[in-house]
Amino acid sequence: MVLLELYLSFLRIGFTSFGGISMIPLILEEMEAHSWMTAADLSNLIGIAEMTPGPMGLNCATFAGIQTAGLPGCLAAVLGVLTPTLTLTLTAALLFEKFRGSRRMSGVLRVIKPMCIAMILTVIVTLSRETYVQAEGLDWYALGIAAVSFVLLRRFRWPVPWIVVHAAGWGLILYGVLPRLAT
Amino acid sequence: MNKEKLRTGGMLLVRFARIGCFTFGGGWSILAQIEQEFIRRRQFITQEELLELTVMGRSLPGIMITNISMLFGCRLAGWFGGICAVGGITLPSIVILSLVTACYDMLKNNVWCWCALQGINSAVVPIIAGTVLSLGKEAFRHRSGVWICLATLAVRQVTGWSNALLVVLGVLAGLIYTEVESRGTA
Repeated sequence: MVLLELYLSFLRIGFTSFGGISMIPLILEEMEAHSWMTAADLSNLIGIAEMTPGPMGLNCATFAGIQTAGLPGCLAAVLGVLTPTLTLTLTAALLFEKFRGSRRMSGVLRVIKPMCIAMILTVIVTLSRETYVQAEGLDWYALGIAAVSFVLLRRFRWPVPWIVVHAAGWGLILYGVLPRLAT
Repeated sequence: MNKEKLRTGGMLLVRFARIGCFTFGGGWSILAQIEQEFIRRRQFITQEELLELTVMGRSLPGIMITNISMLFGCRLAGWFGGICAVGGITLPSIVILSLVTACYDMLKNNVWCWCALQGINSAVVPIIAGTVLSLGKEAFRHRSGVWICLATLAVRQVTGWSNALLVVLGVLAGLIYTEVESRGTA
């Protein structure tokens, strides 16, 4: 039954998302609803997914599937998230000419894109609360790493995997080495 | 199924598995790789066709990368080719993530790994924010985009509806909108 739930859950994620970061709000929702993953786990996973090859959706499905039900779980989740590709896209590919530059499609996307932005914004709030606010107040180290990462990403156009590795380095220094030097 | 098709399928499986090993950072690199592998070296399809496949792969629900692989595979060898391409692109990420997941609890409980993860976590929000900025340019090209975005935030706050439901409603709204608009101009 867990397998069926995993399949259906990732089926929902697959059909209602349009790839990449826009999947995160939906994944977070499903994961928390089934308590398969916490927001902190998801944040770790996003970091890992950005560092390893492969699309975010597949990486999340693999991770959540294995964590909940081992290898069979992984297969169920991956099949779920791939179902739109295996059904809709396959049909579309076979009827390629008809879908070409469809006005309906672009009309739908005109509404969906801004909606995705709204959803991602709410996820940013959730993850920020999780990451930058500790019991004792703001985590200034984390905010510092975030600021530096943002500048490197936007101003200097670093590729995302580099940013992740660089942030890991700061984490090691600020949370690992520094406290040990102080004592 | 003839031999020719089987061979093309096998070729797609292997090539896409290799591409799958190197699709970092959101998957735009897959395009660069398809271009290198299949257009410049082998001339299977033209640049323009690839662009068309991409636009379509992006506008269909699901994972963009697997959608594009499916469309590309189908183009070369029918549905069988499509499934081979999707299988190929999927395999590496399943294998790698399985290994990571197997070690996840160990990594999380190791002090040094925890520190590194803490650093990575701090960078996740800026990474997402960067994507929002890039997406925003496209989504807000029409003024209505800003209103749709604000309305979505408001509806979510007030009703607590799930994201999935909101997307379904959005698709319906988009369809109705196109319908009304085309009637208006007809």
